[in-house]
This record gives sequence, C-alpha cells and structure tokens, in this order.
Amino acid sequence: MVIAIDGLSLGAIYALIALGYTMVYGIAKMLNFAHGDVIMVGAYMIYTLCTLTWTTGSLPIWAGALIAFVVSIVVCTLLGMVNEKVAYKPLRGASPLAALITAIGVSYLLQGIAQLIWGAEQRSISILDRLGTVRVGTVAIRWSSIITVVCGAILMIGLTLFVKKTRTGRAMLAVSEDKGAAQMMGINVNKIVSVTFAIGSGLATFAALFYLPTTAISPTLGSMPGIKAFAAAVIGGIGSIPGAVVGGILLGVVEVVCNSFEATASYTTAIEFALLIIILLVRPIGLLGKKRRVKV
Amino acid sequence: MTMEGTKKKNLFAKGGWKNYITYIVIIAFLAIMIILNLTVGLGRGDKSTLARIAFSCILAVSLNLVVGFLGELSLGHAGFMCVGAYLGCFVANTLRDATALPELVVVIIAMIIAGIVAAIMGFVIGVPALRLRGDYLAIATLAFGEIVRCIFKNLKIFGGAKGMSTKIYNNNTLFILAFIVLLIVVFCCQNLINSKHGRAVIAIRDNEIAAKAMGINVTFYKLLIFIVAAFFAGIAGVLYGSTIGTIRQETFSFNYSIEILVMVVLGGMGSINGSLVAATIITYLNILLQNQLSGSLAPVKNIVYALILIVIVIFSNAPALKNFRESINPKAILARISKKKPDASVTRSDEAKWDRIPTKINIDEVLSADTRSGYADDPVPPGEDVVPMEATKDELYRPLDRKEEK
Amino acid sequence: MKRTKLFTAIFAIVMVVAMLAMTACGGNKGGDTPAPAGSGSGEAPAAGGKIIIGATGPLTGDASSYGISVNQGAQMAVDEINAAGGLNGIMLELQMKDDKAAATDAASAYDQLFDAGMQLSMGSVTSGACDAFAQRATADGLFVLTPSASQQSIIEQGDTIFRLCFSDPEQGALAARDLSEKYAKIGVIYDTSDTYSTGLYEGFVAQMEELGKQDAYVTRTFDQDNKKDFSAQVEALKDCDVIFCPFYYTEASLVCKACANKGLNDIPIYGCDGLDGLAALIDDTIKNPITYITPLDVTSTDAKVKKFVDDYSAKFGATPDQFAADGYDVIYVIFEALKAAGVNDANMSAEDMSAAVVGILTNGSFSYTGITGQMQWTKEGACDKILNIVQLQ
Repeated sequence: MVIAIDGLSLGAIYALIALGYTMVYGIAKMLNFAHGDVIMVGAYMIYTLCTLTWTTGSLPIWAGALIAFVVSIVVCTLLGMVNEKVAYKPLRGASPLAALITAIGVSYLLQGIAQLIWGAEQRSISILDRLGTVRVGTVAIRWSSIITVVCGAILMIGLTLFVKKTRTGRAMLAVSEDKGAAQMMGINVNKIVSVTFAIGSGLATFAALFYLPTTAISPTLGSMPGIKAFAAAVIGGIGSIPGAVVGGILLGVVEVVCNSFEATASYTTAIEFALLIIILLVRPIGLLGKKRRVKV
Repeated sequence: MTMEGTKKKNLFAKGGWKNYITYIVIIAFLAIMIILNLTVGLGRGDKSTLARIAFSCILAVSLNLVVGFLGELSLGHAGFMCVGAYLGCFVANTLRDATALPELVVVIIAMIIAGIVAAIMGFVIGVPALRLRGDYLAIATLAFGEIVRCIFKNLKIFGGAKGMSTKIYNNNTLFILAFIVLLIVVFCCQNLINSKHGRAVIAIRDNEIAAKAMGINVTFYKLLIFIVAAFFAGIAGVLYGSTIGTIRQETFSFNYSIEILVMVVLGGMGSINGSLVAATIITYLNILLQNQLSGSLAPVKNIVYALILIVIVIFSNAPALKNFRESINPKAILARISKKKPDASVTRSDEAKWDRIPTKINIDEVLSADTRSGYADDPVPPGEDVVPMEATKDELYRPLDRKEEK
Repeated sequence: MKRTKLFTAIFAIVMVVAMLAMTACGGNKGGDTPAPAGSGSGEAPAAGGKIIIGATGPLTGDASSYGISVNQGAQMAVDEINAAGGLNGIMLELQMKDDKAAATDAASAYDQLFDAGMQLSMGSVTSGACDAFAQRATADGLFVLTPSASQQSIIEQGDTIFRLCFSDPEQGALAARDLSEKYAKIGVIYDTSDTYSTGLYEGFVAQMEELGKQDAYVTRTFDQDNKKDFSAQVEALKDCDVIFCPFYYTEASLVCKACANKGLNDIPIYGCDGLDGLAALIDDTIKNPITYITPLDVTSTDAKVKKFVDDYSAKFGATPDQFAADGYDVIYVIFEALKAAGVNDANMSAEDMSAAVVGILTNGSFSYTGITGQMQWTKEGACDKILNIVQLQ
C-alpha cells in the first residue's frame, strides 16, 4: 500500500516531467535535453524565494511558500521561453540533431550557472513535507504524496482539456500534425512553440515542488530524472499526452518496487531500462503512440 | 547520396591524392609529433592528450557510421566501449599473468577480443534496431548503455563498484599505437563506405523503402553497420584502458555517449574527416579547459564549454545564417579572388527566404517535376539543374525528420 | 559535400598548428617557473622558490561539494603557511584540477600536473579518481597523501601512497561492534556504485559474521543513478531499531527526509565519517537522533579546531565539513614532514622529495596532531587515528 502510494507519487513526478518532453517533442520535433535542468532551476528558485520570504517577511509559512512557488513558475516559464528563443529557434529548419546538441549545451550551461550562483553544496528545504502524515488504517501516508498524486492528476486532466478544447491547444495539435499546413491556416507557429515551451517549463516547476520533499537540490538534480522521464515519454509513445502519464507512473512504480527489495535494488536502473526495451520491442511506437505510415 | 560514391570514384580518376588526404594529414600529424617527441620531447600531458584524441577519433568515426551513414540515432556508444574496455583489459590482465608475451602483443590480442565481444553486443542491440526507428531507437540504445553499466557494476569478477585496474601502456609509444589503430579504423571505414556495401547503407538512410525495393538487404546492412561500429568502439575501449589504467563503470554513462554524439554532429553527419576534426577539437578543448580553469575557477569550465558548443552549432546549422556562412566559405572566397565563376553548388541562393515556408521541399519537387515533364524547351540544361538540387538536398538532409514526416 | 571537405582540411591544418603551439608552450613550461595559478599567495618573498603540491578532485558535477571543501581547506592551509614565511622561505603552491570524480579526468590531470612540475601530491579526493592517480604516482615514485580516498586497495598500490582518512573496512567493523551491542535489529542502506560505501558495508558484514550475528541486519541498496529518493528503502526498513547509513551526508540527508516524511521520528540514524556535514543539510522537520563516527568535531573547544572552524567560516561563509578539515590537515602534515626532513631546496626532484617525506612518515616516531586528531602512519600507508563517536542534536 505504502509502496503503491510512493510509486504513484514518484510516477506522477516523472509524468509531469515527461509531459514537458512529450509536448516539446510533438511540436518542435526535438528532444529537449535541457528539460531536466529546468526542474533544477525551479527547485533552486523555490528554495531561494522560500528562504527569503520566511526570513524577512511576517507572512505565514504557507503564504511565503505559495508566493515563492508562483514566482518560481513565472521565472521557469520565462526561462523556458528564453531558451527556446535563443538556442532552438535559430535552428528551426535545420537538422533536429543540431537542436539536440544545443539542448545539451543549454543543459551544461544551466548546471554551470547554477553552481556559480548557489555553489555545489547540496541544499534542502521542507515545504510540502511540513504537512506530516495521515493515518489510513494501519499505514501512515504522507500528505506530500497525496498532494503530488492529486495535483498531478488535476494538472494532467487540465492539460488534456486545454489541448482538446481551447483554441491555442487545438493550434498546438495542428502544429504537431503538420507545421506547414498549420502556418498556411494562419496559425502563428512561433507563438505556439513558445507557448509549448512555457507550459513544459511550468510543469517542470510543479515537478520540482513535488520532488523537493524526497530529494535535495544540487546542480545536477535534473539530469537523471530528466533521462528517466524521457524514457517514460518513450514508453508511453512520444508525442502522446496520456502516454507520458502512463509511462511516468509505470516507471515510478517499477522504481519504487525494485528499490524495496534487496535482490533487485542494485539492478533498479537496469530493470527500468530493460522494461523500456521490452515494451519497445513489443510495441515499437510505445504504449499509446500513434502509428505513422511511412511512405516513399 | 549514391552521388557521393560516384563522386569519390571520379576524384580518384582525376587526382588520386585527394582521396588520401585524410591519411596524409593523419600520418603527417603523427610524424610531426614523433619527431617533436624525439627532438624537443613532448610533455607527458601532451602525449596522453594525443592518445585520448586518437581513441576519441575512433569512437567518433565509428559512431558516424551509425548516425551519419546509416541514419540511426544511437545514444549507447559508450556502452560498447564499456564492454570492450572491461573484457579487453580482463583478457590483457589474464594474459600478462599467464604468459610472458610482449606488452604490444598482449594489447593487440586484447583489442581483437574486445572488438569481437563488443561486436556481439552490437548484434544484440542491432536486432531491436531493425524494429525501432528514430528516437525510439535512440532511447533503446541509451537504455542498453545504462544496462551494460549497471551489470558491470554488480559483477564482482570485474571489481564491482571498485572498478578494474590494468597496466598503463608505455607513455612514449602509446600515442603512436593509438594513431596507427586510428589509421586502420579510418581505412576500414572509408573503404566500407566507398564500397558497394557502403552505397547500399547510404541508400537505406536516404530511403529505406526505396532501398528495399531495389533489392537491398536492409536487415543485413543495418546489422552490419551496428556490428562494425561496436567492434571499433570495443577497440577504443582497450585503448582507453591502456591510457587511463583504471576502468570504472561510471565513466561510460550516457553523458559519454552524448559527448561522442556531439563530436559526430559538430563534424558533420556522414563526414569522416569532420568527425576526426571535431573529435580532436572537443577532446583537446576539454583537456585545455581542465588545465586552465583549475581550483575555484572550475565551475566556469562547464559554462565556457556549453557556450562554445551552442555558438558553434547555431553558427554552422542555423538556416538564417546560411548566406553568411557561404560568404565566408573559403572556397567561395578563393573563387571570388580568382574571378572564376563560382561553383554552382556554392552560389548564393534564395533558400534563406524559402526556408520560411516549411513546405518548401514539396513545392520544389512539384515545380521541378512540372518543368521537366511539361516543357520540352526548358531553358535550364538538364545536367546543370540536377547537380545543385542534389547538393542542396545533401546539406539539408535530416534523418529524423524524414522518418517522421514522409 | 566539397565545401565540408575543404573546411575539414583547413581545420585539420589549424589543429596541427595549434598542437604545435601547445607542445611548444609545454616545452617552455618545464624550464620556466610556472605562472602563479592565482592561489592567493601573492605576497611571497623572493627567496627560496616554491614547492608544487598537486591534487585532483571533483570541482564540478555530482560530487563537487567534497572536492570544493578539500580545495578550500587545503588552500587555506597553504595560505597560512606561506603567510608565516613558508618552509624557510620556500613557498608552497597548491594546484588542484577538476576530475569530476572520474578516473579519466584524474589521469589527464595527473599528466598535466606532472608537466607543471608537481613535486608532492594530495592525490585525489574520491577513490575512483585516486586509483588512477596513485597508479601513475607509484610509477613515478611520487608521494601521495590523499585526504579522503579511503578505498583499501589505493594505498596497496605502492610505497609512496598514504592516506589521511580511516580505512573503510576498519570503520565498518567498528560500526558493527558498536551497533550490535546497542541494537537488536539493524537496517543497512548502502550505495552499490560507490567504493566508500561498499567498502564500509563489506567491513560491517565481515565483522557481523565474526560476531555471529548474520541475522541481526537487513540490507537495502541504491546506486548513483538512483539516489534522489529513499522512500522505498526507508519503508522497507521501518521496523528496524536503527538505520545504518554507510555513505555520505548528501544522501544521508535524504534518508532523514524520507524518515520524516513517513513519520518515523524516533528511529536513530547511524553513520560513519561521511555523515559529517549532515547538520547543515537538515532542518527542524528532522527529529531523528543521529550518531556517527568522525575524526572532526566542529563544536570542539580545542583551540586549534576552534581557530580552524572560525577562520574557515569567516573566509568561505560555511561551517567546514570533514573534507575541508582533511584537506587542511594534509597540507600541514606535508609541511611538517618537509620540515622534519630538512628539505631546503625547492628545486629538488619529485622523486627525491617524495622519498624524503615518505622516510619521515614511516620512521615510526613521526606523528602530527591536526584538526582531525593525532595521526601516525604505518609502512603500508594507512593512518592510525582515534575514532570518535559523535551524537548530533
């Protein structure tokens, strides 16, 4: 039971990160390797602003945290858009591999800058974990897990509705389907790509907030979750929003289950990636990926 | 891309030496280094840098076979290297204990065995490669690399977390050995690419279905390239072991695979010379930054490296900068100086404007098809029309896009 | 395609020229005195020249906090010594290169340091890197006194390799004895990808078997790709009387967090010297009693320790951890050994100087009392010092 909740909550975090990957991939057809590092920046922002509001202001703790979180979302969203404008937009129309390399460059850059600003020393802050635990029957479940799972679900449903129902969302679908045709229909492709990066980065900040109760902040915080979320996005079928959610939760649960047993814990990473390969061998387009016909 | 094969043949017919320019440059470079070492005496750091450059070049060239020529994105190249390094150095250690063979022979045997074992792993990962494409294959190869690492971490026979030690090859001759191996690898790759098989591989990259329709055995060639690339990566692993002396699994993480990929992309996909140059520059840059930015300046290292990477990639790939790139192209400048009519393939074009319309290629194809079939008195001679078209397609070539969009 | 070819040819030529320039510079470096590396010891008097102490450590990447601490501690010691006139007018110079905790980078850093004229060395901060470093140093007969690379096999590589920290198995054994006395059921978590952690764990297990208490502990593991979330491991160990954490404080702080998250506020956390520095990473939400083995006690009233802690805090704005203290002590041990050996010539070759220092360290009577306690060295290169067990409030 506790394993399931822990798994779900880690899975929800992976899913939120994977959503960013998948949306950017769908629209810009590029793997945004710097996505994990946006989480890192988000975590640092939350940390810095929380400490600032808690030490200076007379605000209650929750209000300070809320302000810090909202400001962090804004900063990360802007960061995502600036990234896109500076590093990826000049390369639109060039080989996607070129954009992949700049994404790697941006990732190194963010890590380097973070180390310069905040130092290499690990930081840690308690926000959601201040809520403590709730007893359900015999087991204690932490509130932060519950909030992560619930908020994650709300965000994912919201995102799906946004894409399906709103004008911008449908424009995003159109751009991911055929950029040229979308442009001819009067859709501002540049704007849509910016919006996509903004949403992806915003989700990454949520992921950072939910990740903070179990982890500590360091300049390399984002790299491994980033890769695992990438794997989650691929398991679910890259470009598919429900796919990212399914993939993320699957990976999170597998990770927590593997870590719980002595025999499997030192093979956790291998098991996760082996699962990925097996799924891809059975369904080469991921669990919920759309099959595209390849024509000559 | 069958073009390239025929082009190379023509060059060979015209002036043979151009075909060997790569070898000439490598040999000249090595000769200068050897002479310098014998006369002035190279520093130890310089010699190990040379050895590192050599095995980075081998890795980049072999990965270029997969990414540049076969057109499949692989993020697990360090995994093959890991297998090669562990197995090869294990064999070398055993041989050293059991026999009194000279060190050179031991390393050569180790390289061959490492290559073969890595090639087997190449076969193992090549099989799923037949089913997967594009980014799905990329993540599968990445996963493979991480799995290999995780397994070696848990194998006590290879030292587990503590890693494995092997003998460091004589510093004075290691770089010569490494460069000779590099020459052999480049020779094999060049010949493979320029052969019938190489043209088949390139045909698969350009259009798999068409290649299949032409009777090319796609399965065979895909596996072949994966196996050959893994073989060379395994050899590079042994060279790595002989240079560093300690083999630990965390070295071969996906970050290393990505570094090799960066070399390939910067050097130009499908250009062996480009891979060599980029591998040299990046390896040297890394060591230079490590050397210059020590102590409390170290965090700046990542930033400098990242900025260089971003600027180079944007500069050499951004569609908007195409005209600028052409204006500083040495060939165009030479042509301007000699007042010759510039080569058709480097003339300024209006492509920068066209690029803003994403459906450009389709429109191009429609237009050219129309003019050729519909108007007999086409003002453009057919021969001249075809060459620049092919050339521009080469340059705009994007392996991932193609798979997703067509 | 032609265009690319020409480009590459020209680039190749440029590279050849660049390499030539590099080697030319490299050649010069051997003769000249190396340029001051901004080490902050600018006020050096002209007399005597300087002794170059080489080191590598992770200054970027995941393990960078350890390397940076060592660098800061050691640099502080060097500055103090130089400000006090150095070794009879000979200045010390510390050159620390980034190795990202990787053997590859440590190897190339060693070669660069060698070319820069390194005479003595601190080895590397982490075991993996120090393995490659020590292998080379043994071949060159260079002295290595590593502050923190505790893997047993490192000092076994050669006669010139020494360490300042405890050995992993010893500490693991001590922990096993202490823990098995106090608690009936011990939960252990360790890092399968880390040599420090596996070394401690192996020492612990060996001792437990010797004590005949194989059933008294339960083990869970993690590795470097999988160390950001410890909920699963803590959940599995929640019924134990104590959680033994034989790894570094960065990960241990996450174990504490996982305990707090699960409301396991009473379960004690027990660790080795790697846990030092944990206090700075946890806040008021963590109430578990924390006990660890350490050579350094920052709250100590000892004048030397107090001065070090105050100076360090004033200079870097942070409480020193054990890595900083180790780095600081290494420099002073080298300094004292040089003094005892009567080294008066800064131009001594690395091999001779190393042999002199090794001779002093292994003469059986040399001992040094530093921040991390009183130390003596065996012929094998191991460090004898007293292990304290500290309780964190």
